[in-house]
Amino acid sequence: MPDDSKVTLKVGFAEQLRDIEVQLPAGEPKPWDARAELKVVGKPHPRVEAPLKVSGAAKYTHDIVPQGALWAAVLRCPHACALVESIDVAPAKSQPGVAAALALVKPGERMIFAGQDVAAVAAKTAEQAEAALQAIAVQYKPEAFVIDTAAAMQDGAPLVHRGKVEERSTEGDEPGAGGSAGQRGNVRTSPSMKKGDAHKGLRMAKVSHEATYTTQVHTHSALETHSIVVQWDGPKQATLWCSTQGIFSVRDEFAEIFELKPTDVHVHTEFLGGGFGAKFGASAPGSRMGFIAGELARQAGAPVRLLLDRKEEHLCTGNRPDSRQQVKLGAGANGQLTAIHVVAHGTAGIGTGAGVGRNAFGVYSRCPNILVESHDVFTHAGPATAMRAPGHPQGAFALELALDELAKKLKRDPLDLRLAHDEHPVRRHQFELGRKQFGWDEGKKRAAALRDKQARVRRGFGVAGSIWGDFGRGKAVVATVSVMRDGSVEVKNGLQDIGGGITTVVAQVVAEVLQRPIEAVRVRLGDSELGPSVGSGGSVTTASVTPAVRAAAEAVKTQLTALAAKQLGRKPEEITWSEGQARAGSKSIAWAELCKKIEGEAIVATGTRPETYGAYPVKFMGGNSYQIAGVQFAEVSVDTWTGVVTVERVLAIHDCGKVMNPLTARSQVQGGVILGTSYALTEQRIMDRVRGVMLNPNLETYKIAGARDVPRAIDVVFTPVDTGANNTGAIGIGEPATIPTAAAIACAVHDALGVAVRDLPLTPDRVLAALGVVPARGAS
Amino acid sequence: MRPFVIRRPKSLDEAQDAARERPQDGVLRAGGIDLIDRMKEGIDAPAELVELRGLADETGELMRALGPAGDGMQVGALVTLAQLAAHEGFGAARAALREAAGSAATPTIRNAATLGGNLLQRPRCWYFRHADLVCLKKGGTACLAVSGENKFHAILGGGPSFIVHPSTLACALTALDAQVEVRGAEARTIAIGELFLTPKQDARREHTLEPGEVLVRAILPKAGDDQRSGYAAVKEKQSHDWPMAEAAVKMSLQSGVMTDVRVVLGHVAPIPWRSREAEAALEGKPASAALFAEAAKAALAEARPLRDNAYKIPLAQGLLREVLHRVAGVPLPE
Repeated sequence: MPDDSKVTLKVGFAEQLRDIEVQLPAGEPKPWDARAELKVVGKPHPRVEAPLKVSGAAKYTHDIVPQGALWAAVLRCPHACALVESIDVAPAKSQPGVAAALALVKPGERMIFAGQDVAAVAAKTAEQAEAALQAIAVQYKPEAFVIDTAAAMQDGAPLVHRGKVEERSTEGDEPGAGGSAGQRGNVRTSPSMKKGDAHKGLRMAKVSHEATYTTQVHTHSALETHSIVVQWDGPKQATLWCSTQGIFSVRDEFAEIFELKPTDVHVHTEFLGGGFGAKFGASAPGSRMGFIAGELARQAGAPVRLLLDRKEEHLCTGNRPDSRQQVKLGAGANGQLTAIHVVAHGTAGIGTGAGVGRNAFGVYSRCPNILVESHDVFTHAGPATAMRAPGHPQGAFALELALDELAKKLKRDPLDLRLAHDEHPVRRHQFELGRKQFGWDEGKKRAAALRDKQARVRRGFGVAGSIWGDFGRGKAVVATVSVMRDGSVEVKNGLQDIGGGITTVVAQVVAEVLQRPIEAVRVRLGDSELGPSVGSGGSVTTASVTPAVRAAAEAVKTQLTALAAKQLGRKPEEITWSEGQARAGSKSIAWAELCKKIEGEAIVATGTRPETYGAYPVKFMGGNSYQIAGVQFAEVSVDTWTGVVTVERVLAIHDCGKVMNPLTARSQVQGGVILGTSYALTEQRIMDRVRGVMLNPNLETYKIAGARDVPRAIDVVFTPVDTGANNTGAIGIGEPATIPTAAAIACAVHDALGVAVRDLPLTPDRVLAALGVVPARGAS
Repeated sequence: MRPFVIRRPKSLDEAQDAARERPQDGVLRAGGIDLIDRMKEGIDAPAELVELRGLADETGELMRALGPAGDGMQVGALVTLAQLAAHEGFGAARAALREAAGSAATPTIRNAATLGGNLLQRPRCWYFRHADLVCLKKGGTACLAVSGENKFHAILGGGPSFIVHPSTLACALTALDAQVEVRGAEARTIAIGELFLTPKQDARREHTLEPGEVLVRAILPKAGDDQRSGYAAVKEKQSHDWPMAEAAVKMSLQSGVMTDVRVVLGHVAPIPWRSREAEAALEGKPASAALFAEAAKAALAEARPLRDNAYKIPLAQGLLREVLHRVAGVPLPE
């Protein structure tokens, strides 16, 4: 392949296609564009690992039991804020079965949330470990604390941190988000997003709307809790099994904690029961799991399994911050927006990252004056961490519902108002598509008729937009493809499959290039020794990994082509491939025959992915990558006698570049919609503000949508876009899929009732309060 | 969870002997749904469980009975919620019990949960269930819900504890005028209303059974041909959630006139809450939408909400109206 070639790519979407020229780095295959005719990629294929999962044969970290392994348990602080006066772990050491005990705090240390690490033990059984924790003597001196976000903002509120706060960010965070513009009391200000002059825009407005919108703390609640198993193979070498979204982040953190060479830490994550942003590094956001398991294993001289229980999972492994967003919108007499101004406060507990994303700033960009200010408010609660599209669902909810309230004042159709301000051609196309497919115009009329006659059961329609960036990472992944003499094909990379289906997609890419059946491609992932890879966060996995896999497969194919040319007595450029056979004129050689001619064991090649080189048709703010578009429509019914909201239908129209596998992509979007529905209707961390503890650290009173709560129909439509980003055309979908769901549902409830419920979740008490039927005392 | 011993007696006598041997840390077990939850949460740590499901004597037979008894019906304490929900012998007259059983928990739980366990389970209050907090029920001095998070607590009959009674079947059985048979040193049959304790009577306990006493069965009285009943609940989450309010209604309906009316609300009070005000509003009158609205208002007239649960007033009213419409066959407004 020639060095640094220029190629013409057909890019765009729907009928809006055009040719662009792209400079390709050396060795890079020509990207699959709108002209590419693909046989395997883009076709539905069930997950290759599905039989292992449904039969229980798949081994998750919780299933790993090295010989002689001990169980670890962690003693957690029961107080929201307390000084440790004394701690003695010695009594735990003489308890039955105990092999090691560890103090994790020193006298004089201040504990700042209920659930913080205090001490840990390792014992032969889980019950022995739990029992031994009771023998640890700790004296606390409780101190004043603050749980409520609004209370923490007040002057004189108990201070959560006594010094400057270090930001913790992971691969789950949005690139470019975060940073600080100052800290005062418990309030830490983030850099503003600003364009034009929002204050002036508001002064110029003929019609304006101002209201405060709130959202709740949402916990990740992955089915598999945070877990790590540590086995020391020597004083300076360890093998780890970890339920993680980032194998290399685990390796590097563990190596740093114990001063090891990263290459001497071997990490396995064969299967992973979900992460949603909370599983990066050897530790959980609020618990030093890597140190605890590693140190207990070192002291005990035996492998240690640290598997958190559901309560710990809620308390100390991260969450989505709450928010209190004051939104001001202004419009001119013609109904065009003159200003969007959002002032957001939210608590990430003792952590940072309570911003509200890019929706208010980025989606309705025809508005000339936009100001989004956000502040983290520290409270004595477990730290937040990145959660599927950090900030965005909160921001989308407040902005989109405010827009609907403004549209009502303007007597304008909410969808028309959005189309008048959105510049993204793909999102505009999606809005228009949904209008027809969802039956928007007729639906809105039906909703209005029921509203007008004060019907008991109402209907409502809502719509909201999504914004995210193609953050596919260059130069991060090295994939290896091998073709063996027996004709078998293997692809290897140190990536973890978070559940989105990348294992299958990787097999498809290799099968496409080498023209082999998918079943003939063995995919090996989940092991740090299989080559560098990315964390599964920021919707980067498919976009980062598949181009490297393709490059490796193409490199192998080049060598096979040379081998075939030699066998057929032709030049390599005369060789063509079809149906897995190498051909030259009338001569051909079958795959199995060709592979037998391989010298040595196998042909092996690696591939990498260059930096993103195309971002057609719209760039994401301030970057050189594509802005991913999506819209969701929701239809709800609301029982005005009981306040119960039912989501009848969601239509999710998304762009994820070139769809690699419609089955797994659809599944990701459905998962995003279900997560968003659950966030909209029921999920909520409940803290006791007087006692400073979480009251629902379980899956019974922390309410995740079940089968009867998810929309009766979730229709997923992909609007494929060729962006020219990379050689497979893949971009992300994991996060965009959950951004607009709660917003669309809240807008639909507003449509049904004629009044907005401005607080998530949209529980019956709030619906009844919005309807004005709850007696004055007690509206929550 | 603390390690424990499980004993599997074959007769009631054996079971009672076993229970009497360890009055402090022995406990009877049937489906184990609530008990094992409490043990896992560290709220209770019995050293010995006495399994009731293996009883092979006459009491065991009664505890598994489901069907006609005399001119009424019997439902044994070991009958599962799934069996109740699938039973075809309740008819329209006793539909409330079938509907209540089918609405609780999840299919998996209903397969194990028993009538006895459902009636005698401990409250689901998140203060009672929090291992680190000592509430009134656990020997503390105050009901923590009063100063705390009380969205799901009682609006009627509360104080000094503000729990809501967790039993869904209790609500339906109260509406159906059930009696329960209890066997201890002696056998006794009591009206279901006498099974429950208000917090004013005893803030630490929810029922009147003494240690060693076993709830054997519920007995439903004779039902006339014109008897109708129904049950419904409102939940935040429609799959597996505890109700914010429930309503069970029974009546005899002749030519549209309602008599012998029972109205019971659940999850609004520390006991299944029979509303004599609503019953009086309906008794002997022709069924109508306007009358139902009036009765619903009467049912909640005495409600005294805490900071976060006043919404239960309109919610329970709306729910009761829905159930009344359905049971009396008056079409619901659109």
